[in-house]
Amino acid sequence: MTSRTDGAVPLFVPMHGLGGAKDLPIPLGLAVGAATVALVVSFAVLALAWREPRYLPTRRARPVPVRVETMVRSPGFSWTLRGLGLLVTAYLVWALVWGPDLVNNPVLGTFYVLVWVGLVPASLLLGPVVRTVSPVRTINLLLARATGGRAEVGLVRYPERLGYWPAALGLFAFAWQELVNPQSAYLGSVRLWLAAYLAAMLVGAAVFGEVWLARADPFEVYSSLVARLSPWGEQDGRLVLRSPLANLAKTVVRPGLLAVIAVLFGSTAFDTFKDTVRWLTLMARMGAGPTLTDTVGLLGFCLVVAGTFTAAAMSTGVRSADEEPRGGDGTDPPVVRRTALPGLLAHSVVPIIVGYITAHYLSYLVEQGQTTLIQLSDPMVRGDNLLGTADWTVSYWLSFHPTLLAVLKVLAVVLGHIAGVVAAHDRAISLLPARHRVLGQLGMLAVMVAYTATGLYLLMGGF
Amino acid sequence: MPRRPRSWAIPLVVVALLLVLGACGSGGGGSTGGARSPKTVDVTFEGQSVDPTNAQVQLSVGQPLVLHITADAAGEIHVHSSPEQQVEYAAGTTDKTITITQPGVVDVESHTLDKLILQLEVH
Repeated sequence: MTSRTDGAVPLFVPMHGLGGAKDLPIPLGLAVGAATVALVVSFAVLALAWREPRYLPTRRARPVPVRVETMVRSPGFSWTLRGLGLLVTAYLVWALVWGPDLVNNPVLGTFYVLVWVGLVPASLLLGPVVRTVSPVRTINLLLARATGGRAEVGLVRYPERLGYWPAALGLFAFAWQELVNPQSAYLGSVRLWLAAYLAAMLVGAAVFGEVWLARADPFEVYSSLVARLSPWGEQDGRLVLRSPLANLAKTVVRPGLLAVIAVLFGSTAFDTFKDTVRWLTLMARMGAGPTLTDTVGLLGFCLVVAGTFTAAAMSTGVRSADEEPRGGDGTDPPVVRRTALPGLLAHSVVPIIVGYITAHYLSYLVEQGQTTLIQLSDPMVRGDNLLGTADWTVSYWLSFHPTLLAVLKVLAVVLGHIAGVVAAHDRAISLLPARHRVLGQLGMLAVMVAYTATGLYLLMGGF
Repeated sequence: MPRRPRSWAIPLVVVALLLVLGACGSGGGGSTGGARSPKTVDVTFEGQSVDPTNAQVQLSVGQPLVLHITADAAGEIHVHSSPEQQVEYAAGTTDKTITITQPGVVDVESHTLDKLILQLEVH
């Protein structure tokens, strides 16, 4: 994004997405060290960690002070946030509809960087933020009030077997738009995407009620899933603070949860992979258009995640229904169907995904995020300074410290891996009979080490 | 069943993490200082093709890269550094120098042909 005075010619539209320089590959030694740590910690958890589940739903949590809770739950507080969400949306719609089709139109940076990437740290720190500020939620609420209806109630009941599948589709649609669509950096494609999104959300909410937004809105489902790793939870109707791992264990299993996870992880991994010289050379050799090969690649990455995870989770050694209970003293875990295992263990990959996404997007969020904040002052790209940020300059400090950046990325991946292994262990011991407690977890452990190693390999540049 | 003390796992993690950091600290470093001689890459445009394509080039921060361009038609090259740079060339032979001032991976693309020419790894 060069000088803003150059007029109406689209400047530097990149072949894919937004952004200038990318991170250097992380050094081999660091990647190997991190993979070793991941492996060692995995087996240490398996062999040494607790033998009784700690993150059961009955675990007590610390309630937040009543004054804080009263404020957070007051209508004034929630309507202030909704109002802010609407205001920001209106500002961006102005730029989206009436702004020029240039890469420095702030809509692009807001859509691909501030919203898509920014919702991860925001939800980690503050909980389900998208649910709180989502403009579609507010519009739906206002529409319902205006027509004298109730936002929660639709025309028909939402079929529970659909679960999160609509959100998984929406997330795939976003990943396709960002990573595959050759028009991704042009305003027209973003207008089309957002119009389709708004229509799908409002029509669905009218038919099924507000629950549609909690199941189908890709941004809300993504944010609420990441918020499972925040310290904010709810117990007996009270707002509580608890360990992120205890929060994570309370993830509600619904159909399509694994699909959501597979799309999030698969698409981020594909994003790292698709810019490697190896993939570009392979694509050139195949001769098919980049749109087709990239679509196949993106879908392939998501399917590999879903397939490997399903296989690993189902290999976990539970007691099958036809097996006789051993003790008969009531200490045996409940009978679990193997087909239910991928869902019951799905939450444990969330930290691995969040760790990898942090590593993948860290410098992008910090640096493109600053660029976007500067551009937001000038939504018409004509030299305005509406928010007072136009004369800021972007600090590339993080890029100038590539070793620190690499260490931060590797730490994010390793911490995510450790949290994931602990979460899977805790769930597995509540499901497994005593004699399967160590060996029965090996499948999950193997797939988690494989995910982390693949992530590190991709961050190394995939050479 | 005897419960093992759970405090075992945590020191183990800490020690392991410190080991990683140590390994990385010794692995860091990298080239430093000194006058850097420019690096030259020949780029040839012919019809719908460009040579090289998808080539990787190692570069130091601040080291000038000379693109020795031979082209049958005028065109435009985009250098996806931060901030981005743009190189225009005419038909015939042109020498253009670009300098990357910040570590990272920078794509050099032919805007005209929509192809990746070079991927610069700038240390």
